[in-house]
Amino acid sequence: MAGIVKPPGAFAITPHKVSVCILLQIYAPSVQISLPFPFSSVAQHNRLGLFLLALTKSCDDILEPKLDELIRQLREVCGLLHDWFIDHLTSRLSSISSPDDLFNFFTDMRGILGGPESGVMEDDQVILDPGSNLGMFLRRCILAFNLLSFEGVCHLLTNIGHYCKEALSSCPSYEATCLEDSNSNLEALLEYENMDLENLVFEKVTEEIEARKSASETVPFHLHAPQTLFGLVEDIEVLVDVKPKQGDKDREASSYVHPPNDTSRDFEPNCGIFLRSNWQIQGYLQEQADAIEKNGSCVSLNSFELILRRLHKLAPELHRVHFLRYLNSLCHDDYFAALENLHRYFDYSAGTEGIDIVPPASGCNNFGRYEIALLFLGMMHFRFGHPKQALEVLTEAVCVSQQQSNDTCLAFTLAAVCNMLSEIGVSSTSGILGSSFSPSTSIGISLSVQQQLFVLLRGSLKRAESLKLKRLVTSNHLAKAKFDLTHVQRPLLSFGPKASMKLKTCPINVCKELRLSSHLISEFGSESSTMTTDGAFSTVWLKNLQNPLGSVVSSQENGSGSNTNAFQFYAQPSSIPGSVLQLIGSSYLLRATAWEIYGSSSDAALAYVKLIQHLAVFRGYKEAFAAIKIAEEKFLSVSKSRILLLKLQLLHEHNLHLGNLKLAQKVCDELGVLASSVTGVDMELKTEASLRHARTLLAANQFSEAAAVAHSLFCMCYKFNLQVENATVLLLLAEIHKRSGNAVLGLPYALASLSFCQSFNLDLLRASATLTLAELWLSLGSNHAKRALSLIHGAFPMILGHGGLELCARAYIAEAKCYLSDPSFSVFDNPEVVLNPLRQASIELQVLEYHELAAEAFYLMAIVFHKLGQFEEREEAAASFQKHMMALENPQQEQRFLFNI
Amino acid sequence: MIELEGPLGKSDAVNRELVSLERELSTLRKNAAIDPFGLYLYGLVLKEKGSDSLARTVLVEAVNSYPWNWNAWSELQSLCTTIDSLNSLNLNNHWMKDFFLASAYQELRMHNESLAKYENLLGTFGFSNYIQAEIAKARYSLREFEQVEAIFEELLRNDPYRVEDMDMYSNVLYAKECFSALSYLAHRVFMTDKYRPESCCIIGNYYSLKGQHEKSVMYFRRALKLNKNYLSAWTLMGHEFVEMKNIPAAVDAYRRAVDINSCDYRAWYGLGQTYEMMGMPFYALHYFRKSVFLQPNDSRLWIAMAQCYDTERLSMLEEAIKCYRRAANCNDREAIALHRLAKLHYELGRPEEAAFYYKKDMERMEAEEREGPNMVEALLYLATYYKAQKRFEEAEAYCTRLLDYTGPEKETAKSLLRGMRTAQSNIPSMDVEHLPP
Repeated sequence: MAGIVKPPGAFAITPHKVSVCILLQIYAPSVQISLPFPFSSVAQHNRLGLFLLALTKSCDDILEPKLDELIRQLREVCGLLHDWFIDHLTSRLSSISSPDDLFNFFTDMRGILGGPESGVMEDDQVILDPGSNLGMFLRRCILAFNLLSFEGVCHLLTNIGHYCKEALSSCPSYEATCLEDSNSNLEALLEYENMDLENLVFEKVTEEIEARKSASETVPFHLHAPQTLFGLVEDIEVLVDVKPKQGDKDREASSYVHPPNDTSRDFEPNCGIFLRSNWQIQGYLQEQADAIEKNGSCVSLNSFELILRRLHKLAPELHRVHFLRYLNSLCHDDYFAALENLHRYFDYSAGTEGIDIVPPASGCNNFGRYEIALLFLGMMHFRFGHPKQALEVLTEAVCVSQQQSNDTCLAFTLAAVCNMLSEIGVSSTSGILGSSFSPSTSIGISLSVQQQLFVLLRGSLKRAESLKLKRLVTSNHLAKAKFDLTHVQRPLLSFGPKASMKLKTCPINVCKELRLSSHLISEFGSESSTMTTDGAFSTVWLKNLQNPLGSVVSSQENGSGSNTNAFQFYAQPSSIPGSVLQLIGSSYLLRATAWEIYGSSSDAALAYVKLIQHLAVFRGYKEAFAAIKIAEEKFLSVSKSRILLLKLQLLHEHNLHLGNLKLAQKVCDELGVLASSVTGVDMELKTEASLRHARTLLAANQFSEAAAVAHSLFCMCYKFNLQVENATVLLLLAEIHKRSGNAVLGLPYALASLSFCQSFNLDLLRASATLTLAELWLSLGSNHAKRALSLIHGAFPMILGHGGLELCARAYIAEAKCYLSDPSFSVFDNPEVVLNPLRQASIELQVLEYHELAAEAFYLMAIVFHKLGQFEEREEAAASFQKHMMALENPQQEQRFLFNI
Repeated sequence: MIELEGPLGKSDAVNRELVSLERELSTLRKNAAIDPFGLYLYGLVLKEKGSDSLARTVLVEAVNSYPWNWNAWSELQSLCTTIDSLNSLNLNNHWMKDFFLASAYQELRMHNESLAKYENLLGTFGFSNYIQAEIAKARYSLREFEQVEAIFEELLRNDPYRVEDMDMYSNVLYAKECFSALSYLAHRVFMTDKYRPESCCIIGNYYSLKGQHEKSVMYFRRALKLNKNYLSAWTLMGHEFVEMKNIPAAVDAYRRAVDINSCDYRAWYGLGQTYEMMGMPFYALHYFRKSVFLQPNDSRLWIAMAQCYDTERLSMLEEAIKCYRRAANCNDREAIALHRLAKLHYELGRPEEAAFYYKKDMERMEAEEREGPNMVEALLYLATYYKAQKRFEEAEAYCTRLLDYTGPEKETAKSLLRGMRTAQSNIPSMDVEHLPP
């Protein structure tokens, strides 16, 4: 049996193709009618034609749709007629019960082909031109059938049996009617149920692989290198996730037609009969790799592993399978399997399989490209939280790629090192970056980690630019933007006392980097749209078609199922009071959708997080929590940690405001735990956690403890050069002193914070510090009220323009208090000057559910009303005051709501 | 049944009739209408299908009802990859079981147990060439090359046309660099049957020893074409590729060996060495770890691993010390470990440990009557160390021994001695002064 007849060009006749042939027969029956029987209009007829065109175009897809899927598609496309079609199709299929039936079927099929010999063409007749797409398809089918050996025909017959049976068993409505027909076959079918026929054409595959190898064609396979690289990064502020292939159209449709789980199901033993050419398998693997990298959890570990194992058994020379196994185990956190498969893949492929790298002129091909293996190993270690090993391996990668003068790999490696450095934070690297770290030793001077990071970033960027690696350039720009955003710059190497020590963050730099990167992204997007994806593109065809056709029928499905999200509808139409929110929010939303179109869930999640944070600050917690619920559904398991982090942050704020301090502390502790994960200590998170801790203590009026925590936090921030945080902590200290009644002690802190903010261009924080300063002055006595008022008025534009609800409300209350304590001010002359801000504040604080401040506002209002003699209003304000005080006393009542989230 | 394209041409076959075969055989077994050979067949089908535990049960049934089917035993053995699975088999007592166990122990790298079993069997089957060859195999694994050579000479006298296992003999001859004996053996098997994988392997070994690596690879390739699961040929071919500096081919060959049998520590070791050669010591560590895990008593593996840690780039000296210590405990033939241990301890500023290892190293060299720079180094270090410890007698002894050598150390020893003498002449007087009244 070894000498099996090879079908021409891997075009094998399959049950699905037989189905298509049957549909073709409906479309163009040999009888001479202008409009064939079932169709009532030309449009209907044309629609079927279009559908068939799509089907024939996608016939090279690795996974052929099963009958039930085809039926579903038919139902969508053909509208009212679908019942008739489906009936006809299934009955025709199940009527094929002997090899002779198949022979007759294909002889019939020949009849619908118009040929040159068919003579006079009648105007109305529907005839398939043998040269047309459909005609070609039909001819190929007939040819393939004719080339089949008798054995092959028998196999086809069995397969058709399976094909029908599966569909029928999965759609019960037809079972009853068709069971009778197929009953006689059923036993015979059972016999072969588990039969494994995949290998029919498999020789072809390995042959093609060999052919490719010999032609040393590069297959774009590791195109993902930078993606895996940045897929690992969770915390980076703004990060590109470059999707080289597949335009946006594909993205939109893909989740709709072929959910990834579905594709894996198609592979299960008794239906995976139709493996075909190498081309298709490569395409399939490529698609799966994309799917895994976009959203690792969508592929189930075991079932996909099973598929891959089978593939490997059938095509032992297809090493790419090992890479997929690596990816699969990586995203399911199976360290040992990942390690094993990584090594195996690179042992076999020597890193030379399908790289989008231009081979260097020097003939070092003999050596292989094992440095790429090192790069991947390093990233794997990093992903599994072994930064030390990762750094070790990446250092080795740097050395080897320098030795091999593989600049591309070097650039990527440097970028990976940068990522890692910025990820694992300052504290945990300092030990590692000792003598063993070579890439930057050329500078010769021991630099701080941040400086080292900067040097590396610049090196990587320069290399990437010279090598024209656009994706890398883009991501480097973004990384630099993040760096600029979070680190205070000072001259890299400063000598002597004369060197300027200007410490500044530079917003312009950030913007510049961002613009550069987005520019590159768009450039890249337009470029990639012209690229055709191997293998994958045949799949795309049908998916794309599906969208416009199906949109009429299944618009409601589209709404819930696809990525163009419900969230968008939720957020957009609500007319938002502050134009600020609209602006910022929509920009984030824009970015979120942009990321989504690009196919990166982690960046999209980041954008959502930002949006929700803004919602919380500007619209209160209810809306934020509602939004977080949606986000949680959306990113159920992806980047869970980021959403979780956000949730914890919001919960903490909310509980602080509610006065539910125990719970707030609990949440704060959880945050603290998150800060020191396996990957090393996340400094940002750690500072945030202790900042929140201090705030909780402050809210509990434990001033000395709060001050102690804040002080140690300040020391830490100072030690690690976290300048922005320094300003925040100083402000907090001022706040603590203010609350504890030591306004004099608070003043220097507030002033220090103010000067920090000034030098780092932290405008909003500066406004907030100014407000605190004003409050401090005010609490020093009524003779300072004027000064305080002028301070507040100076900060008002910033606060009202960009500040959140809390800040605005605080400013309003402070303003009112200034007026009230000013001896020269009389309420009776101009009560609205005081009442207006108080009203505004109370509204905002109620939205925010900030009981303490709200109570204060109402209290002041009540007093003013009392003075004015407006007793009704006074009672109202007093009642509100009481309500808020009660809520503050018994925070438990509101917990239920919180726990439901 | 369909042939697939293997690395060396068509080789593998995938049987598409397994399912129906299994169904048929299982019904037969259920109805107890199956004979032991049928059971064996059923076991084969099950194994091919991947249902290992059932296959084990069925094969046990097969050998219990008909113990003389060695194929059934060897299939069973291939299914016992751990000692636990071996012990859990429910086997009837029969002398065939001893053969099975001996061979299984061998495969599980329990060489001493295996050797004991075979020697026991040799009492019963005194003239069995097979047992002789297996004993040779076990001894080979224990690296007792002299005995192995003797056994094979004996074997060839009894059975001049024997080809089986002769590749191992050629390995021994290769290791001992016996050119003429190896060529004689190669010629002999070539005349007997040149189309046996063993023959090709022996010829490959011969060419390798002659340094003709291309030819050697050609013969290994031929051997693999005859039997693509021929483990040692893959590994040996890997070695040849390393010699030819064809790194990817070497890695590929080793990797195939490892994928055929993941317990082949030589191939893992080869992979590690290849990567180390490429300047990727950290990457290589993964492979050395594998090989060391499989063969924890081989000092060469430990030393290779230690040298990885010891490289300038990694310089993970503590780990290196641990590995060297393991190597030293495993009867390190090349005596690298002790010397490196001493040196590393010295570099890390631990004089006591350094002295301990230098002394050990020296004792070892004395026992083996070896001289050389290491000896000089050890003596010099010990002399200075004991001098610093003010144990002048020992220091003097080492110094006088140093005087036997030529070179700069001799002068150093002389000056050391002089220094000690003056110090000693001073000390007593000082002691007197400081004596309590």
